[in-house]
Amino acid sequence: MNIAVCVKQVTDTEATAKLEPSSWRLDRSVTCILNPYDEYAVEEALRIKEAHGGEVTVVCMGPENATDAVRKALAMGADSAVLVSDPALAGSDAQATAYVLAEALKTFSWDLVLFGLRSTDGETGCVPGAVAEKLGVPLLSALSKVDIQGTTLTVHRETDEGYVAYECPAPAVLSVIKGINEPRYPSMKGIMSAKKKPLDIKDVGALGLDTTQVGLESAKTRVLSARSPEPRKAGVKVEDDGSGAEKIADFLTGAKLV
Amino acid sequence: MTQERDVLEVDVLYVGGGIASLSSALHLSNLVKAHNEQAAATGAKRLDELTIAVIDKGFSPGAHGISGAVMAPGPLKDLVPDFVEKGAPLEGEVKKESIFFLTKKRKLKAPFAPPPLNNHGNYVVSMSRLNQWMADLLEKNGVDLFWEFAGVEVLYDEGKVIGVRTGDKGIDAKGEKKPNYEPGTDIHAGVTVFGEGSRGNLTKELIAHLGLDQGANPPAFEVGVKEVWELPEPRLQPGEVVHTLGYPLKRDTFGGGFIYGMKDNMVSVGQLVSLDYSDPYLDPHREFQKFKLHPMLAALLSGGKLVQYGAKTVPVGGLYSIPQLSFPGGLIIGDAGNLFNSQKIKGIDLAIRSGMLAARTIFDGLVTDDLSETTLARYAKAVGESAEVKDLRKVRNFHQGMTKGLYLGMSKAVLQFLLGGRDINDRLDSKPDWRHMKRVTEKYGTASPSKEAIGEIDFDGKLTFDKETDVYYSGATHEEAQPPHLKVPDLNICYGKCTEYYHNPCSRFCPAGVYEMTTDEATGQRTLQINFSNCVHCKTCDIKDPFENIQWVPPEGGGGPKYTVM
Ligand SMILES: Cc1cc2nc3c(=O)[nH]c(=O)nc-3n(C[C@H](O)[C@H](O)[C@H](O)COP(=O)(O)OP(=O)(O)OC[C@H]3O[C@@H](n4cnc5c(N)ncnc54)[C@H](O)[C@@H]3O)c2cc1C
Ligand code: SF4
Repeated sequence: MNIAVCVKQVTDTEATAKLEPSSWRLDRSVTCILNPYDEYAVEEALRIKEAHGGEVTVVCMGPENATDAVRKALAMGADSAVLVSDPALAGSDAQATAYVLAEALKTFSWDLVLFGLRSTDGETGCVPGAVAEKLGVPLLSALSKVDIQGTTLTVHRETDEGYVAYECPAPAVLSVIKGINEPRYPSMKGIMSAKKKPLDIKDVGALGLDTTQVGLESAKTRVLSARSPEPRKAGVKVEDDGSGAEKIADFLTGAKLV
Repeated sequence: MTQERDVLEVDVLYVGGGIASLSSALHLSNLVKAHNEQAAATGAKRLDELTIAVIDKGFSPGAHGISGAVMAPGPLKDLVPDFVEKGAPLEGEVKKESIFFLTKKRKLKAPFAPPPLNNHGNYVVSMSRLNQWMADLLEKNGVDLFWEFAGVEVLYDEGKVIGVRTGDKGIDAKGEKKPNYEPGTDIHAGVTVFGEGSRGNLTKELIAHLGLDQGANPPAFEVGVKEVWELPEPRLQPGEVVHTLGYPLKRDTFGGGFIYGMKDNMVSVGQLVSLDYSDPYLDPHREFQKFKLHPMLAALLSGGKLVQYGAKTVPVGGLYSIPQLSFPGGLIIGDAGNLFNSQKIKGIDLAIRSGMLAARTIFDGLVTDDLSETTLARYAKAVGESAEVKDLRKVRNFHQGMTKGLYLGMSKAVLQFLLGGRDINDRLDSKPDWRHMKRVTEKYGTASPSKEAIGEIDFDGKLTFDKETDVYYSGATHEEAQPPHLKVPDLNICYGKCTEYYHNPCSRFCPAGVYEMTTDEATGQRTLQINFSNCVHCKTCDIKDPFENIQWVPPEGGGGPKYTVM
């Protein structure tokens, strides 16, 4: 079973996020990491490969330095990678990203496409659905379990009440949630061998992309304004000397919350 | 997920990816490249497929790099002659410099910077940024860089160092293996170079194991607490340098403040406090917050924004505290070898210089196929003969002279300066920092000193911050599901003697609020809570605990602060 895993490089969730005031685009000069949700997707892909054979290909759209995130996925054990990188793609919104990824996915054959639930910076969670639509295959999102028998997938889709079990034939697009597995750590040997694995960097021309569909100008969404959240304020500490519950109740009524 | 321990064979291994190791690996890879190019022409023996590896516990290049910093550029110029053209991240050249003596409300300007603090022609830099830049050069040279890997054990074969073991990953709080357990790797190396920085955990073990500190003074340290701020308008030129003495430190505590201008209206403000202080209630983080309350700083920072926080120790023991720097199988470079000039507050130049000399020695050994102890010993000799270390000779008793506090120390320092480093009876002895702490009753004449006597303040959240807020700005995080990496072997000491004598100073000397003594009101049961996730890896606790009852060991690789502009 050949699997494509789509990953994104995001700004570190620990770093203070900064926006460029002119475009409201995220300043990506800070520490960048592989989107934490995508680590679960990579891990799931590797587990499927280990159980059923096949190859894992990483697909990423991002600036040139996104190779770091891609290399991490390779160091974890993926076999090869495609990075679509072009200045013309900067500022692309979720729609445009899905278009680019779908076009990249059309250049090789796969049975499953895996995504993390969403990116920690954009937080839209729309890309997997849009890619499935563009590829014309079913979407199974927010999965906490994936089982494979032959070419049939049995999955658990997490909901507020519990989970729904679905059965679906491959090919399909899947997005997985945090906790579906424990992503492995890249080993030193993995990191060394990742340097030698094929990483194909493609620009807009190489993929034959329609430039009117990508980039900031063509984005169908516009950010009108943005602001930083209020700085955290120190909370109230309630010491429980037996009257803890009472004190919390007093606090909540005092704040007119109950 | 691998259950078996990998063994990785490399030619040269650097433990710690600070400026010392990065410079050394860069120099070595440059020498090898030049050699191979020449060999192609002359038919000499090539050094093919040489593996040079660097491991660092930080998340990414520069993540654990923190300094002031004013850098003397000499060694960097030797390493990368066109560093300016190559885009080295320099904040600014030092063109303006002043030194002030502060009292609580006033400042007294020295008419000129005393020669040791004359920084004209030096550069203000950010260590995190410089390390990132260096790491990029190394990548291009094909050096293998491994971030998120901590060295946890030195590997010996008889008396010879043969490499280092990295830490296991995926161990939960109870010490059990998680599903993603990944055992550490045994890295075997022809030469292992220790560039772990101040109070390196493996270096400490290595020095003890091989007796490398025989005849040396015990090391001595200062802790630097620092913040980078962004100002609303230009108030300090990039490259402008201000040093201060006096307020807020009490007279018997040695240390000083610094203010360095960076690019983009940023400033680096910080304070160094000597860890041979005696006051069990001293809190270096609080003293730094007080420093910012001085009218000069309050005005500078008003309307500004805190960008990043950090803390780290520096080794200030000077010439006599330098251990033997070479041993069978390896070398020690940079701060790990206590190569620091405390009077000039300079370590970056020494780190680069020692790194380059180590590279030269290793290269010679590789070419002649002789990496014996005798070959490696040439490094220690070369370090001793370098201009930077000869400089240390002149200030060899500076810190020991200062241990009596600022005023007494100053006169001794002046004397030393005039005598060219010689003190009356040449070598001042010193005892380790942890032995300098006095009991609360001895220090304050009472077992319950007042807030005023201690010098406590309230933090306003605008100019001054509590440890919790500051730690947030250091980016420090650790995988929570792991055993604490601060080992306190004997808790009875904490609840007994340490409480009685010193009132648990760990809750104060740690600049990240890692140690908290909590009391259960119902039972009166006290618990030492270790918030290890806050740890910024400064090593103060490993140095200053009055019972030597705290041992810092590396947490799972990748944990710790995430500095980008420090
Ligand atoms: C507040 C402050 C102000 C300073 N001001 C100046 C100044 O103005 N000018 C100046 O020249 N110098 C200054 N210094 C000193 C200077 O920063 C140091 O001398 C220099 O950083 C030393 O470099 P290094 O590579 O030896 O060590 P470090 O920079 O400490 O690097 C060591 C690296 O090794 C890693 N490491 C440690 N142990 C392990 C392990 N077991 N496994 C894996 N990785 C490990 C650490 O994470 C770190 O990245 C200052 C220092 C401080 C703290
Ligand atoms: S726990 Fe120790 S090493 Fe960590 S921040 Fe506190 S004093 Fe520094």
